[in-house]
Amino acid sequence: MSEQVKQLINQEYAAGFYSDIVSETLPPGLNETVIRFISAKKNEPEWLLEWRLKSYTAWLEMIEPEWAHVKYDDIDFQAVSFYSAPKSMDEKPKSLAEVDPELLRTYEKLGIPLHEQAALAGVAMDVVFDSVSVLTTFREKLFEVGVIFCSISEAVHKYPELVKKYLGSVVPQKDNYYAALNSAVFSDGSFVYIPKGVRCPMELSTYFRINEQNTGQFERTLIIADEGSHVSYLEGCTAPMRDENQLHAAVVELVACDNAVIKYSTVQNWYPGNAEGKGGIYNFVTKRGVCHTNAKISWTQVETGSAITWKYPSCILRGDNSVGEFYSVALTNNYQQADTGTKMIHIGKNTRSTIISKGISAGKSSNAYRGLVRMNPGADGARNYTQCDSLLIGDKCGAHTFPYIESKNPSAIIEHEATTSKVSDDQLFLCKQRGLDAEKAVSMIVNGFCRDVFKELPMEFAVEAGKLLQVSLEGSVG
Amino acid sequence: MSDFQQLALQLATQQQSPVWLNGLRAQAAVDWQKVIWPTRKTEHWKYTSLASLQKNVPAQWAVANDSWQQDVEFVAVDAHRLVFVNGIFDAASSSELPAEVVLFSQANIAQQAVIEQYLGKIVRGEQHVFATLNNAWMNEGIFVHVPRGQIFSRPVYVVHVSTMSTQPASVNQRLLVVLDENSQAEVIEHFVSTAERQNIFVNALTEIVVGDNAQLQHYRLHLEEENIQHVGAVHVNLLRNARMRGFTLALGSRLKRIDYQINHRGQGAELDLQGVYLPRNNQMVDYHTNVQHWVPHCTTNEVFRGIIADSAQAIFNGRIYIHPLAQKTLAELSNKNLLTSNKAEVNTKPELEIYADDVKCAHGATISQLSSTALYYLQSRGISRSEAEVMLSFGFINELLQQVAEPAVRDYLLPRLAVLFGRDQTLLEMAD
Repeated sequence: MSEQVKQLINQEYAAGFYSDIVSETLPPGLNETVIRFISAKKNEPEWLLEWRLKSYTAWLEMIEPEWAHVKYDDIDFQAVSFYSAPKSMDEKPKSLAEVDPELLRTYEKLGIPLHEQAALAGVAMDVVFDSVSVLTTFREKLFEVGVIFCSISEAVHKYPELVKKYLGSVVPQKDNYYAALNSAVFSDGSFVYIPKGVRCPMELSTYFRINEQNTGQFERTLIIADEGSHVSYLEGCTAPMRDENQLHAAVVELVACDNAVIKYSTVQNWYPGNAEGKGGIYNFVTKRGVCHTNAKISWTQVETGSAITWKYPSCILRGDNSVGEFYSVALTNNYQQADTGTKMIHIGKNTRSTIISKGISAGKSSNAYRGLVRMNPGADGARNYTQCDSLLIGDKCGAHTFPYIESKNPSAIIEHEATTSKVSDDQLFLCKQRGLDAEKAVSMIVNGFCRDVFKELPMEFAVEAGKLLQVSLEGSVG
Repeated sequence: MSDFQQLALQLATQQQSPVWLNGLRAQAAVDWQKVIWPTRKTEHWKYTSLASLQKNVPAQWAVANDSWQQDVEFVAVDAHRLVFVNGIFDAASSSELPAEVVLFSQANIAQQAVIEQYLGKIVRGEQHVFATLNNAWMNEGIFVHVPRGQIFSRPVYVVHVSTMSTQPASVNQRLLVVLDENSQAEVIEHFVSTAERQNIFVNALTEIVVGDNAQLQHYRLHLEEENIQHVGAVHVNLLRNARMRGFTLALGSRLKRIDYQINHRGQGAELDLQGVYLPRNNQMVDYHTNVQHWVPHCTTNEVFRGIIADSAQAIFNGRIYIHPLAQKTLAELSNKNLLTSNKAEVNTKPELEIYADDVKCAHGATISQLSSTALYYLQSRGISRSEAEVMLSFGFINELLQQVAEPAVRDYLLPRLAVLFGRDQTLLEMAD
C-alpha cells in the first residue's frame, strides 16, 4: 500500500469535532414527564401532547425489531437524553448576526455554505442543530410563491390544520418500534407545503447534525406537495465523533397529491465509528411517501456513514399511474452495518416503480439490501424493475440481498435482478495497462458502478457524494 | 407446545421400530418438545400457514390399503422399484432389490453401521422443524448405498402412494442415499395419491451424501392430489468434485412445503437444480431452497419456474449462502413465475448472503402474465387465443422438462401435464 493510501486510511473523521455550546439537555431517561416536558417546552397544543402520549403508550407495548441483518448491543433507552437544544435558542436569532458564533464556526468547519448562501443561490437551508431548527433562510422568497418551509414546531402553531391533517397519515404512530418512539418524543424537523400548481423555485435543503453527547435525535419531516406541484428536497447529515453510540430515529413523511412530484435526496455521512467499530451513529429511520393519481416520488440516497443503518424509504403508489423511484448507493467500511432498501406498494392501476440499488462493502462491514415489491389485486398493468448490485472489496466483508416479491395481479410485471462480485481483475488490468494505478482504477470503476444513482442527485450533492465515496473507499483498496 | 406437537409425540410412542434407531428417536423426541412452532411471524413460514394442520391434527398412523393399483401408474422405467402405501412397504408391488438397496429394518450389521454414520447427520433440525419430527417418527426407511467405484445400471425408483383415509392420518417417510467415491446413481422419488379424497399428512425426508467424484441424478416428483398435506425436505452434502443434477416438480395441494438444503462441502462440487411448480384451484406450493457454499471452487445453477392458476398460491424462497472460505464460487439462481388468474398469488424471495469477495453470484426473479405480443403472433397465424395461451404456458415449463435427463420421467410427465393444461395430443407432438 502506498504512503498516500495509508494516510487516507488513518485520516480522522473530518467532521469529528465537538462544539462547546451550553446546551439545555434533559437528564437521560424516557417517561411521560419527559414527553410532557418536550411538549411544554415547545408550547404545543393539547392535541399534539395527546398524540405523543398515545404513541408512547403504543411504543411501550412494542418490541424492538430483530429481523434486520445487523448486530448491536441492546439500546438502553433510559440512558438516552431525549431533548437537547443549544441554550442560546431561548431567544431566537432574528438574523445570521445573532446566531451563536460557535455554532456558525461548527458549520464552517463542515463546509456548509451558511455564510455563502447568497453566493450559492438557489439553496435555502433549514439548519437543524441537534433538535431545534436554528435558522430558516430564504423563507420570505419562498413565501412569495406560497411555499411554506419552516420547522415543524413552528408549523404546529402557524398551520395547525395542515399538520393535524397530515402528521402520521403516511407513517402511523404504531407503524414500527422506532416510528412510535419518534412520534412520542420528536423534537423538531422540517415542514414543507407546496401549494397547488406551484413549482418550488429553488431546491430546499436541511442539514442535520447531532452535536450533544448522548442525545438521540428524533426529527420529523413532513412534506406535502399539493396537486400539480413540484419540489426537490435535499437532506444532508453529518455528526461529530463520539465514542458512545448515538441514537437517531427519524420519521419522514411525504404526501404527493394528484400530479405532484417530490424528489427527496439524502447524503448521509454520520460518524461511522472508528476502525475498531467503536462508536458511531445508530440510524433507525422510517421514510415513506404516498403517491396519489399521476404523482411521482423519487428517493435518492447516498449512505456512507452511521455504524448501523436501518432505513427503507418507501412509496405507496395509491393513485392510478403514479410512479415511485428509489436510487441508492450504500457504502460500508470497517465495522459498519447497513440493512437498507425500499418498499414499493402498488395499489393503483398502471403504477410504475424502479429500484436501483448499489451496495459496496469493504473492510469487515456488512451491507444488506432488503426490499419489498408488492402488487395488490387492483394494480392492473403495474410494472416494477429492480436491480441490486453489490461490490465486494476485501474478503472479510459481507453483501446480502433479501428481496421480497409479492404479486396478486396477473397483469403486473415484476423483474428483479441482482449480482454480486468483486472488482474484476480484467477491468483492473485494462485500467493499469492504460497507465492508471490500482487506486485510481478502483475509484474509477466504483464511480462507474454508482453512476446510475449519482446522475439522479442534484449537482451540489453529486459532487459531495463522489468525494465521500472516494475518501471512504481509497483506504480499503489493497 | 402446540396440539400438533403433543399429538405427534404420542404417535411416536405407538410405533414399533428397530432397536438400534431408538437413540436417535429418543433424542429427536426431546428436541421436538423444544421446537418453536412456526407461525406467520416465523421468517421461513411467513406465507405458509400451518393452521390446517393444527385444525385437523392427523392423530393416528395411516393404515395399509390395497385398492390403489388401478389409480396409480408408475413411471415406465426399468428400475429397482420400492413401493410404499401409506408409509408401509408393499413387497408385492416392489421389484427384487439388490444388496445395496435395503429397508432399515432389514439392514445387516455392516449396513446399520453406515446408516448410523450418516442418518440424521446431514439434516439440521434448526433449518427445518419437521426434520426433527421425522427423526422422532422414524421406524422405517430406505437405505441406498452405492459402493466405491460402482455405477448403478438401473435407477432406484421409490413410489409413495397415499390412499383414502376417513380420519386425518400421518405418514412418515425416510430415504438415505450414500454415494461413495467415484460412484454413480440415479434416484427417483415419486409421491402420488389415489383420486379419492385423502386426508393424509406426509412428512418425507431425504438425506443424500454424494462422495468424492461421485455423480447423482435425483428426481423428486410431488403429484399428489388436493387434500394431501406434505412437508418434505431434501438435505444433501456434496463432497469434493461431486456432481448432482436435481429435478423436482410439484402440483399444489392443501399444504405442500418442500425444502432443499444443499451443502457444498468439498471443493469443485457442482449442483444443477431445476424445479417446476404448478398449483391450481385453492392449492398452494411452497419451495424453500438453501444452497450453502462452505468451500472454494464450487458451482451452483438453480432454475425454478412456476405457473399459478385460479386462486392458487405459490411461494418460492431461494437462498444462496457463501461462507467466508468459499472463494471462486459461481452461483446463479433464476425464478420465473406466470400468473394466469386474477386471484392467483405468488411470493418470491431470491436471497443472496455473501461473505467472500472473489465470487460471482447473481439471481433474477420475474413475475408476469403471458406476453401479449407472443399471443398476438400466434393468433395472427390462425391459432385460437385459448390454444395460444396453452401453448405458451406449456412452453414456459417445457423448457425445463426438455432438460430432464431421464427419458422415462419426461415421458411420464409430459402427457400428465398436458392434461393439466387441458390439452390434447397435438401439444405433446409439439413438445417433442
